[in-house]
Amino acid sequence: MTAYRKVFIIQNMQVGIGVSAQQDYIKAVREAVEKAKAGISSPKTDFALIFTTEEFNHPLVLQTIKSLIGPIPLIGACSKAVISNTGPLKQGLAVILFSLNDGVYFNAACIKDIASKNAVTAGEELGEKLLYGCKDVRRNLSIIFSNTGTAADPSLINGLQEKLGRGFPLMGTSSPASIEHKENSLYFDSQILNDAACGILWGGKVNFNLGVEHGWQALGKPRYITKASIDTVNQIDGAAAVNLYKEYFAKEAFELEKDLERLSVFYPLGISASEKKEYLLRSIVAIKNDGSLVFRSDVPETSSVRLMISSKESCLASARRAAEKAMIGLKNKKIKMGLIFSSASRLKLLGRQAPQEIKIVRDVLGEDTPLAGIYTYTEIAPLSSLNYYSGKTYFHNNSITVLTITE
Amino acid sequence: MVSNQLFIIFICAAAILFLGGMLIYKIRGMRQLLVQISYLKKSLDDMDEQAKLIVRSDMELNKIQEELDKKIAGLYALQRLSRTISMTLEEDQIFSRIQPEYLSELGFEKAFGILLDNNRQFSLSFYLGYSDEEAMLIKNFINNNKERYLGFISNESTLSSISEANKLINRQELNEIFKVHAFILSPVLPHQNKKGFIFVGTKNASTVLTEADEELIKILATQLSQALENASLFEKTWRAQQELEKKVVERTRELTLAMEEVRKMSDRKTNFVSSVSHELRTPLTSVKGYAAILLTGKLGEIPKEVRERLEKINRHSDELVHMVNDLLDISRIESGKVTMKTEICDLKEIAGKVEDLLSGQLQERKIYFNIEIAPDAAAVLADRVQIERVFINLVGNAMKFTPADGKITISSKKVRDNVEIGVADTGCGIPPEAKEAIFEEFYRVDNAINQGVKGTGLGLSLVKHIVEAHGGKIWVDSTIGVGSTFNFTLPSAS
Repeated sequence: MTAYRKVFIIQNMQVGIGVSAQQDYIKAVREAVEKAKAGISSPKTDFALIFTTEEFNHPLVLQTIKSLIGPIPLIGACSKAVISNTGPLKQGLAVILFSLNDGVYFNAACIKDIASKNAVTAGEELGEKLLYGCKDVRRNLSIIFSNTGTAADPSLINGLQEKLGRGFPLMGTSSPASIEHKENSLYFDSQILNDAACGILWGGKVNFNLGVEHGWQALGKPRYITKASIDTVNQIDGAAAVNLYKEYFAKEAFELEKDLERLSVFYPLGISASEKKEYLLRSIVAIKNDGSLVFRSDVPETSSVRLMISSKESCLASARRAAEKAMIGLKNKKIKMGLIFSSASRLKLLGRQAPQEIKIVRDVLGEDTPLAGIYTYTEIAPLSSLNYYSGKTYFHNNSITVLTITE
Repeated sequence: MVSNQLFIIFICAAAILFLGGMLIYKIRGMRQLLVQISYLKKSLDDMDEQAKLIVRSDMELNKIQEELDKKIAGLYALQRLSRTISMTLEEDQIFSRIQPEYLSELGFEKAFGILLDNNRQFSLSFYLGYSDEEAMLIKNFINNNKERYLGFISNESTLSSISEANKLINRQELNEIFKVHAFILSPVLPHQNKKGFIFVGTKNASTVLTEADEELIKILATQLSQALENASLFEKTWRAQQELEKKVVERTRELTLAMEEVRKMSDRKTNFVSSVSHELRTPLTSVKGYAAILLTGKLGEIPKEVRERLEKINRHSDELVHMVNDLLDISRIESGKVTMKTEICDLKEIAGKVEDLLSGQLQERKIYFNIEIAPDAAAVLADRVQIERVFINLVGNAMKFTPADGKITISSKKVRDNVEIGVADTGCGIPPEAKEAIFEEFYRVDNAINQGVKGTGLGLSLVKHIVEAHGGKIWVDSTIGVGSTFNFTLPSAS
């Protein structure tokens, strides 16, 4: 009799990232999928995350990806630029394939036509869908992409947290829905979505570490929001909100409007968010005729705000801090991948040094760590890293969020 | 009772005093606090004023930095674009080198290139950021307004959203046709038939063009013009080369035919010389034979004058036979009928034999004969009979031109696998212009010395043929008034 020993092979979680900048989108898709598949030794893939630029926001791109990766859940987003290990790609796509071990649970879901619903209800609906099949497992994190007409309204996130837990960590991106500008579209399976939100809920034997930083410093004296509604600030210190910028820059409102993009990128408002001198940044998107300022995300009434200022060096230093926070407690654990959501404002501010930001994250996370991400309109993340997490998730502007995934 | 009242009054008074004191103290404290608050507020205001100065300066610095970054990025893009354009020599490929990433780095997302074709119609060279239908519409619009656009190109001026208005082209019209917010239009090849222009633009309403942007696109247009000219020149050169190659092939074919003709003529000449020589030999033998019989006197006594004439006939017949033999030998070697029967020959032995053969004449002419054969250059692979003829011809030739008390030297040295043999004399020398010609048949140097020396003009030609039939070569080194050395090579046997 021959004695056979039964061998159990425990499959590790594997992540393969493929990036392509080829102009022909079919060739680009093939290249990216092949590269992603090459990063996974297992024939089994469970989930796909897709990031593209506007040029690749095409149903045929999704169709080709689906035909190459098979019938697995897929979510993704389109943006101004894609982040890869080598730096920003202003035209290209990234395909991230996950091959998970048996102890990892996930559920992907989406909700559409948010405009026709109550935002809180829509968030709750998404939360319900994400929880499907994951109620009895340890839930770790949810990655959310949304593009709605009310992108600045945190109600959707609040609704979502009502279902997932008020202290449950969420990270992702939020952008305004736009049919004309396809750069904010979302992907869910074979669909290209607008006015929608999609996400993935992770649970089980998978760990996430998150770092969020912006690198802006407060300048000048604190001011108080005396009248505001969601993203529109009517009055600061009892006067028209625009006066703050008029005072600081010694310019009239029409002059400020000409410099709006610059003001948005370089001089956001900082909402004092905690006693730890943490500020949530808010970038201006419009100046109204009545002197109100419209921001990318919500600015609560009665909040204390200050004008913020940054530099390339400070911005790069914050990227290092975000990456370092995403490494806290990992010890020698092998990072499966680093997910980066960096604000499009940072891309603008850093200019030719934008690849440097990615390089810094790569240096901290490890040269071999696969990286992917996108440049965002608004980032969704808790106030501080997960280790110090004690509260709800917020919208961030001009920030970089770095997420590490380990087993 | 009174004392109690007094005590209470005292206590109340003391309390009032104490409270009063405390109140005064508090008021003082509050005043100090107010002063401090006011001081802090002033500091905060001062800080805010400083902050205002900082952000204003920072804003200006950021603008400059942005402009600088844009220029640097544009320059980098232009440099890479120029490099890739200059590497192309195919006209069709030049415009296609303008890739979206370069355009994006230059700050634009739309581009359009158009050139005048042979039918004097503008045709599309490339377009980026437009659909095929949009590009066709733009092209048709430009062709419908061709004269205006040709006029603009000929003016060599660049038109942009920030430049001065152009009389021929309306900026608003361009904004609408090309669907952009800001643009730059620059002519390409304005002086040539194949003129056109490059257009770059952006629909981004926040884009503010600068003169630097205009300058970069002008440079790009110049680069494109240069590349198109280079491509055109290359095509011309390529065509000329093709033409030349065709002509070379044609000429080579003609030359081959001519060579074939020459070879045939040479063969005919050789055959003719051979036939004539053969035909001459029979009557010559008869002439010589009859002259010899007559000279014997067997046919009767011959008078002295007749004898002298007969002896001349005999001598000239010998010379004629000699000449005919030489001609026959040359013909045979030329036609390949003679095979060199090579064997190891000792040059010392051959030279000695020649010396023996010609010793009488050498003594008579008082010419010193010297043999300097190097030990390692003594053995050659050669046809003994033919090589002896070479030596006899060369030494005999040397004797003819070497005056009394002169010297003839036969020498040899080893040069790689060959032996180089020299026959040197101290004669009158050969003029430089005749050094090659002396080896041709019937060539004789035209000078007074030569006119006094007998010769057929066949000896050196025969020598050359024999040496070359051995795979060797022959040449002469000579100095007028000093002497000549005839050098030839033979395969070494050692």
